Amino acid sequence: MKAIKIAHLYPERMSIYGDFGNVLVLSQRMNWRGIKNEVVSIEVGDKLPKDIDMIFIGGGQDKGQVVVAEDLMAKSSQIKDFAESGGPLLSVCGGYQLLGEYFISSDYGQIQGIGLFNVISKATETRMIGNILVQSEKFGQLVGFENHSGATEFIGRAQPLGVVKKGFGNNPDDKLEGVIYKNAIGTYLHGSFLPKNPKVADWLIRQAIKYSGQNIKLKELNDELENSARKNAARKA
Amino acid sequence: MRSLLAIIAAKVALKTNRITGSGGTALPGMLAQKLDKDILRKLVLKNFPKGIIVVTGTNGKTTTSRFIANILEEAGISYVHNRAGSNMERGLISTMAENTNLYGRVDADVALFEVDEAFMPKVCRAIEPDTIVVTNLFRDQLDRYGELDKIARSFRNLFEDLPNTKLVLNADDPLVASLGYELENERKATYFGVGDYNGPKITNDHTADSIFDPFTQQKLHYTDRYFGHIGRYRGKRGGFTRPKPDFQANNVRQKGIENIKFDVNKTSKAIKLEMPGLFNVYNAIAAYSVAKICLDTEENNIISALNESSAVFGRSEQLNYLNREVVMLLIKNPTGLNQIIQTYLLKEKDRLLVFVINDNFADGRDISWLWDAAFEDLKGYRGKILVGGTRAYDMALRLKYAGLKGVSIESDENSLLKMIEKNSTRRSKIFILPTYTAMLSMRSKIAANDDKAKEFWQ
Repeated sequence: MKAIKIAHLYPERMSIYGDFGNVLVLSQRMNWRGIKNEVVSIEVGDKLPKDIDMIFIGGGQDKGQVVVAEDLMAKSSQIKDFAESGGPLLSVCGGYQLLGEYFISSDYGQIQGIGLFNVISKATETRMIGNILVQSEKFGQLVGFENHSGATEFIGRAQPLGVVKKGFGNNPDDKLEGVIYKNAIGTYLHGSFLPKNPKVADWLIRQAIKYSGQNIKLKELNDELENSARKNAARKA
Repeated sequence: MRSLLAIIAAKVALKTNRITGSGGTALPGMLAQKLDKDILRKLVLKNFPKGIIVVTGTNGKTTTSRFIANILEEAGISYVHNRAGSNMERGLISTMAENTNLYGRVDADVALFEVDEAFMPKVCRAIEPDTIVVTNLFRDQLDRYGELDKIARSFRNLFEDLPNTKLVLNADDPLVASLGYELENERKATYFGVGDYNGPKITNDHTADSIFDPFTQQKLHYTDRYFGHIGRYRGKRGGFTRPKPDFQANNVRQKGIENIKFDVNKTSKAIKLEMPGLFNVYNAIAAYSVAKICLDTEENNIISALNESSAVFGRSEQLNYLNREVVMLLIKNPTGLNQIIQTYLLKEKDRLLVFVINDNFADGRDISWLWDAAFEDLKGYRGKILVGGTRAYDMALRLKYAGLKGVSIESDENSLLKMIEKNSTRRSKIFILPTYTAMLSMRSKIAANDDKAKEFWQ
């Protein structure tokens, strides 16, 4: 069995909202099922290995994002090829913004994204902060905490991750949250996102296994605690 | 006239507070501010012949302030101090209203204020401190404070607007140190730092925020990293680098969870803090630096004040609960929590451990930070773990993914206290790690059983 390889992009510059928790959940849920896995940290200037099965990128401060955006541009075609061919990817907050067409920040002007998602983001005066509750066709109820001043909107065809029931989501207006394109997800939910939304975690794992060319059926895990935590968070939203 | 009314209103509110027993410190300040929006400036500015000292930063504000207060006591210098952690604008006004006469005059030589980072620009422009101490800057309650870089930028602008204020900065925190880099008109900051530390360290540290040169975004080279982004580092030649500390703690030696010793610049007498933790060495060396540069006092006074300092309210306080020894360890962000794990929990692996996690405004409503703390370092913890608070499930989930077993959840605090009793015996040592509002309520419940702690409230 070949180990599932997760590339964690820019943990040094892009992990301010408990992003480490997302990677931990992916890794543990494979460990508990006896699925070998490996997390590689990719920093600015590092090469992205060719044999990765999943990509994760978290959120950062605006300042860090400028440097990261340049580095992402250098990896742009590799990341896009990966996603276009069905590779699973999760991007949160700042990472999500940088995978869109561009992000207009308040202090650093327009930061070019790699254009994997048909979205653009702009800094706004309102900081969208609080518990958030989303209904997703694919995953059911999703919970998290959002904290962003960038508002994201779709340009052209794009499918949202879900509809906002409580909170803001992509922007204060259209009640849509996140984006999903093939097996790549962008979202504003942290808290961290995956611990309380294990269905998404398992879906990403399934896609990664498939992408690695293996055929492993995922064993059910006891998610009682995960579900209690999700319900508790949903009540708070 | 307006300020007279404001002072009277605040004083009446303070009295009422005391009679009704409500501990609120913000309300009197709020009333006074409504009546006179410049009340803080009027009450503080030029009112203190020996100066105004402001302490800010993410972690260590309260303990550092307490160290400075103890030095002032020892030196016989009278002072006003916002004690109960009321460190926002209104809390400062309340403190002042309490200590002035009706004409706004104070009978004290020094003002010592701990100030919340978010209120620094507004408060300091009003009171124009003589000295500002910045302990450290870490990600903390991002829902309240926003990004770290923005806080740093607001500090930098503030320092430019206060050209006569002395700055006392942590050399070992790159972002804080950078606030004193290339100041205008050959102004120089005073730096404190730690020269060596060989005690226990966290292995799963995810809390480094500022390991890059704040001006060029190039990675800094660390020769020794103590925790988070705190340590000894170098930048590129000719650019920003770790400034040489004016006051450096050396020979840091920790003994169990009892005390920690160090000396300053290899010349001072040994200082022994009756509380553990490298973070407390930083708090002490910060206070030492302030005393050296702006208080006219002898070294002996500084050292004996530090030696005699006890732990501050809830921050590593020991209480007695039904003949059990309870150690209260306030937690509010991953760095502080990691320091507690490093200092207490790596050493005493078989104690009853209680986490109480609330998500009220004062705790920070976002609990994502739990995922950045190094619970993985607790692997192999042999004690029972209880979890409570409004976010008990999130905490339990975090521990599950850290691979910890034997975790029980009880959201209700009274039931939690019963479980604490059931899972311990007389003379057991119990560690309670609460967020801020959980600390207040747990502490008052426990203090009801502990005469010594009751006194502390007064």
